[in-house]
Amino acid sequence: MTAALARLSGIGKIFSGHAVLEDVDFELRAGEVHVLAGENGAGKSTLIKILGGVHAADAGEVVVGGIPRRFRSVQEAARAGVAVIHQELSLAPALSVEDNLFLGRERRGFLGVVSARAQRRAARALLQRVGLAVDPRVAVGALPVAARQLVEIAKALGQDARVIAMDEPTSSLARTEAERLFALIEELKRGGAGIVYITHRMEEIYRLADRISVLRDGRMILTRPAGELDRATLVRAMVGRPLDEQIHREPVPPGAEVLAADAVTVRGRTGLLLAGVGFALRAGEVLGVAGLAGSGSSDLLHALFGDRRAEFRGLRIGGRPAQVRSPREAMGRGIALLTADRKRSGLCLSLSVAENATLAALPQLSPGGIRRPRREAAAAARGVTALRIRCRSAAQTVRTLSGGNQQKVAFAKWIETRPRVLLLDEPTRGIDVGAKHEVYDLINRWTAEGMGILLVSSELPELLGLADRVIVLHRGRLTAQLDRREATPDRVIAAALGGEDRGGTAA
Amino acid sequence: MATGGIGQRIFLAMIAAAAAGGCGGGGGDEQWIIGYSQCNRGEPWREQMDADVQAAAKKHAEIELIMKDAQNEAFQQIAHVKEFVSQGVDAIIISPKDTSLTPAVAEAHQAGIPVIVLDRAVEGDQFACFIGADNKKIGAEVGKWVVAKLGGKGKVVEMKGLSSSPPAIDRSAPFRAALAGTEIEIAYEADMEWLGPLAREKMLAALDRNPEPGSIQLVYGANDPAAIAAYWAAVDKGREDEILFVGVDALPHEGLEAVRNGYLDATFEYPNGAALGIETALKILAGEEVLKHIVLGTRLYTPENVESGGVPLD
Amino acid sequence: MNARPGGFSVSREVLFAFAALAVVLGLGSVFHAHGLFFKPETHALALWAVSGYGILACGMTVVIVTAGIDLSVGSLVALAGIVFAMGTMNAEWPGWIAVPAAVLVGAACGLFSGTLVALLRLQPFIATLAMMAFARGMAKWLTGGVKVQKMPPPATVEALNAKLAIFGVDVSISVFLFLGCVALTASFLRALRFGRYVYAIGDNEEAARLSGVPVRLTKTLAYVLCGALAGLAGVLFAAVERQGNPDAGVGYELTAIAMVVVGGTSLMGGRGGVVLTVLGALTIGYLRKILDINGVPTPQQLMITGGIIVLAVLVQSLKTEG
Repeated sequence: MTAALARLSGIGKIFSGHAVLEDVDFELRAGEVHVLAGENGAGKSTLIKILGGVHAADAGEVVVGGIPRRFRSVQEAARAGVAVIHQELSLAPALSVEDNLFLGRERRGFLGVVSARAQRRAARALLQRVGLAVDPRVAVGALPVAARQLVEIAKALGQDARVIAMDEPTSSLARTEAERLFALIEELKRGGAGIVYITHRMEEIYRLADRISVLRDGRMILTRPAGELDRATLVRAMVGRPLDEQIHREPVPPGAEVLAADAVTVRGRTGLLLAGVGFALRAGEVLGVAGLAGSGSSDLLHALFGDRRAEFRGLRIGGRPAQVRSPREAMGRGIALLTADRKRSGLCLSLSVAENATLAALPQLSPGGIRRPRREAAAAARGVTALRIRCRSAAQTVRTLSGGNQQKVAFAKWIETRPRVLLLDEPTRGIDVGAKHEVYDLINRWTAEGMGILLVSSELPELLGLADRVIVLHRGRLTAQLDRREATPDRVIAAALGGEDRGGTAA
Repeated sequence: MATGGIGQRIFLAMIAAAAAGGCGGGGGDEQWIIGYSQCNRGEPWREQMDADVQAAAKKHAEIELIMKDAQNEAFQQIAHVKEFVSQGVDAIIISPKDTSLTPAVAEAHQAGIPVIVLDRAVEGDQFACFIGADNKKIGAEVGKWVVAKLGGKGKVVEMKGLSSSPPAIDRSAPFRAALAGTEIEIAYEADMEWLGPLAREKMLAALDRNPEPGSIQLVYGANDPAAIAAYWAAVDKGREDEILFVGVDALPHEGLEAVRNGYLDATFEYPNGAALGIETALKILAGEEVLKHIVLGTRLYTPENVESGGVPLD
Repeated sequence: MNARPGGFSVSREVLFAFAALAVVLGLGSVFHAHGLFFKPETHALALWAVSGYGILACGMTVVIVTAGIDLSVGSLVALAGIVFAMGTMNAEWPGWIAVPAAVLVGAACGLFSGTLVALLRLQPFIATLAMMAFARGMAKWLTGGVKVQKMPPPATVEALNAKLAIFGVDVSISVFLFLGCVALTASFLRALRFGRYVYAIGDNEEAARLSGVPVRLTKTLAYVLCGALAGLAGVLFAAVERQGNPDAGVGYELTAIAMVVVGGTSLMGGRGGVVLTVLGALTIGYLRKILDINGVPTPQQLMITGGIIVLAVLVQSLKTEG
C-alpha cells in the first residue's frame, strides 16, 4: 500500500450554528483517484475547502505530507502542495490567462521583474497539457465557461501540486474536453499525485475512481475500493434510501400546440448562431434539443424568451401568431426560462430563498405594486414544499444552499408564475443524483398538468430518457428531428456532428 | 434683491452689446478702448467690482469697454491680456488672479499700453498704476472699533478666512494686535474658509461651547457672509440679541443690506477701486501724471450711518 | 426593524450598526463637555444638524442598493436651493409652489442621470459625475454665480426653520422632514414591489432581468427618488442658510456616501437599507457634535472622522466573515 499524501481525521465544521461536517475521516494516497460522492449539501465541497486552506476546521486534524497543518490561506496550502479546483471558478476575469496561471507566484527574473517571456512560455506549455488552444494573453473573462475550467486545471498543474482536489471539473466541459481531462488525470496519477474527485456523474465515478468515499449530511458513510462498491449500494449510501437509477418518463398524450416557429434565426457577431430552426411543442410534451457546445441550442431558448434579438418566421404561442421582444413579454405569454448558469443569470445569491422564489411572480403577488408579505410567504412556502428545498427557513440566503437546492429555488421562481411553456437549459447541471431525480419527477408532473417543456441537456442519457421527441442542432442548423423510438444515442450524436440531414435516415 | 435672472441679464447684455457694436460707436472726437479683465466674476465682491467699472465707464461717452472674465483660471486671464495687446486697446484695467499674470502685464506695459492693476498686485514695476485696499488697516480698524464698543472687556468669537490665504491673515493679525492689552478674550476661533455655510456650523459649535446666555459678546466675521451666517446660527439658537456681529466687505446687496436690517452691527468696506481705476486710465490717456501706488481707505457702516453713506476711516 | 424582511443575518447587520453608534455615544458620555452632552437640547440639535445630510443619505441608499452611486447630490443641493431661493425671494412664490418646484428640479436631474445609467448604460459613477458638473454649472448660470438672498428672509424660509416643542424640547421642522423621508424610503424599499426589484438588481442584474424585473425602469426610478430627496435637502439647506448659494453642497455627496457605508450598506449593491443608513447618519452626526462641543479644531476633526469611518467599515466587514 502506498503512503498517504494527505489525511484528515475527526474533521468538524460548523457554519452559523449548523454542523456541516461531523467527525469526518478521509485519506488520500499517492497515485490514486479518490472519488468523494454524496448529495448536494452533504459537505463534500466544505471538506475539500478545509483541505485547500479556504476554511479552517473547527475540529480534527489535517496532515499533509506527514506533517500536521493548519492552513490559514490558499497560498499556504499551495506551498504545501495542495491545489483545489473549485466549482465556482476562482479566476480573475479581467486578467489574462497567463496572469491567472501565475497569479501570486509570478515568474521573476533579474531584480524581481516579472519575466514576461518565461511566463508566456510556461503558460503555453501548461495550456497544451490541458488541451486548451487559446492565446495566453486573452482575458479569462472573454473565454467560455469550459475554457475557464481548463485554465483553472492548468493553474493547478502549474503549481506542481501533489494533492489535487477537483470539484465537479467536467460540469461545463464538452465530451472531448472531458476525455482530455481524464487522460491528464491518468498522467498525474502515474506521476505520483493523489486526486480527490467530486462528481455527480455515475459513469465518471466508475471510470476514474480507485476508491470511493460517500458523505451524507456531513458524516462519512463509507470508504471502499471502487471495485467493491456496486452502483445500487453507492446510490443507497448517498441518498440513504434505494433509488431507481433509471430515468423514468411517463408519456402524456400530447395536447394542443403551445409554442411553435417555422424558422428562428439569430445573428451573432461573427455569423449566424441559429439559421432558420423550426419546431413545434405541444402541451404535455418534452421536446429535447440536442447539440454540442456551440450548436445554438441555448441560443434557441434565449431567443424564445425574448432575451436575444432574433428573427422569427411564423412564431405561434398557444396556436396564435405572437412576438416576444423581451423577457417580460415572454413571461406575459406564459413562457419561462431556467438558465444554464444559475449563479450568473439564475439567482440573486445574496437574497433569501423566499425573495428568489417569488421574484418572477412578484407582479401577481403584489397587485398595485404594493407587496403582500403574507401572500409572498405562502408562495415561498409552496415552492419550498413542492420542490422539497432543504433550507433552515425561507429566509436563508441562497448563497449558503447546496447546488441542488439552489437549482430548486431557480425552479420555484418559475413555478409560481404558472407558465405554459418551460424552457430548461441544463436543468441538472451540477446537482446530485437525488436532486436530479427530483427534477425528473417534476418534469413528469408538470407535463402531466399540460405544460410543454423544451429541454436542453448536455447529458445525453438524460435528454433521451426524458424527451418525447428530439431535435438535433449542428452549428445553428437543424440536422435531425427524431421521435422517442428513433432517438438512439448513435443517431443523435451523428446528427449533432452534422452527419445526418433533416429527417434523414440513420447514419 | 434683484439678483434673479442674471443669466438672462448677461444674455440680454450680450445682445445689447452686439447691437451697439453693429451700430458703430458714435460720439466724441477721441474714442478710447479700454480692456477690462476680471479674474473671477463668480464672487459677489468681484461681481460688484464689475458693476462699478461699468457704471464708471458709462459716465464717459468716449470710453468703449471690453469686459473679460477668466473664471478663476490664470491661464485664461493671460490669454485675455494677450488678446488686448494684439487688439491694440488704449488701456488695460486688470484684477489679476495672482502674480502669474506679471509677465503678461509687463508685456502689455512694454507695448506702450498703460495697465492699471486692481486689488491684487503683480510683481516688479512693469505697469502704470496699482490701486488696492489695505486688509491690515481694515483688521486694525475692526480691532479698534471692537475695543471701544465693548469697553475693553468681553468674549469674542472670530471667524477667520481660509487660513492659507493672505487676506485672512491680514484681517486677523492686526485685529488681534488691537485687542492685546485689553480684557477682551477670544472665546472661540474657527477657519470658515470664506464660506457662509461653514461659518454657520462653526458658530453653532461656538454657541455649544459657550452655552450660558451672555457668554459671548461679539462675533467678528472676516467677511460679511460669515458674519451673517453666524447671525442666523444665533437666531436658530435664540441668542442673537445678546451678541454683536461685525463683518468686512460692505457690499451694497449683502453687508449693507444686513446692517440696514439690523443683522450686522457694523461692516467695514473693502473697496474695489473700480471707479478710481477708470478715472486713472483717463488721466493717463490724457497725458497726466498719476501715482504708481494708490492705497484705498476703508469706511465704517453701522445702523446709524448706513443711510448717510457711512464714515470714512483714513 | 430589519433592512431586509426576515432573516438572521439582517438583525446582525443592524446590531453592528448600533454598535458603531453606541461607541460614539459612549465617547460623548465620557467627553460630555461639562454635562452638555446630557442635555436634551444637545440631542435635538444633533438630530437637526444631521437631518439635511440624512435626507441625502436616504436617497443615496436606494441608489447604492442597485449597485450604483450618485455623485450629483451635492450639486443638486445647490441647484434646488437656488430654485427655492429664487422662487421665494425673487418671484415671491408661496411655499407650496417653491418647495415642490425645487424637489421637482432635483427629480428631473435624477431622471436624467437615471436615463444615462439605465438606458444608455453609462457607468453610474460617470453619469452622475457629469450631472454633478452640469447641475453645478446650471446653479451658477441661473444666478450669475452670486448668492440669492433677501433681507429679511421670506416667511416660507422662516417657516422651514420653525421648531416644535416635543416634551419641552424644541425640535426643528427639518428633523421631522428627515424622519418622514426615512419612512418614505424605507417603505419604498420594503413595502413596494419596486423595493424588492432594487435589491434583486443590485445583487444580480442579469438574473433579475431574466426574471422579468423591469431593470431600466427600476434603476431610473432609484435615481429619480435620490434626486428628489436631494432637492428637498437643498430646500432645507437654503432655508437654514437664508440664501440660495450656487457654491452650496460641495462635498455633501461624500458625507452622504459615508453615512450609508458606515451604516453597513455595501457599495457592491443588493444589501443594506435605510434603517442602517439612519444609524450611520447618527454615528457620523453625533461624532461631529461631540467633537464640536469639546472644541476639537477642524483639522483634528477631519482626521478623527476619517479614522472612525475606517473603523466602522472594518467592524461591518466582520459580520460577512463569520
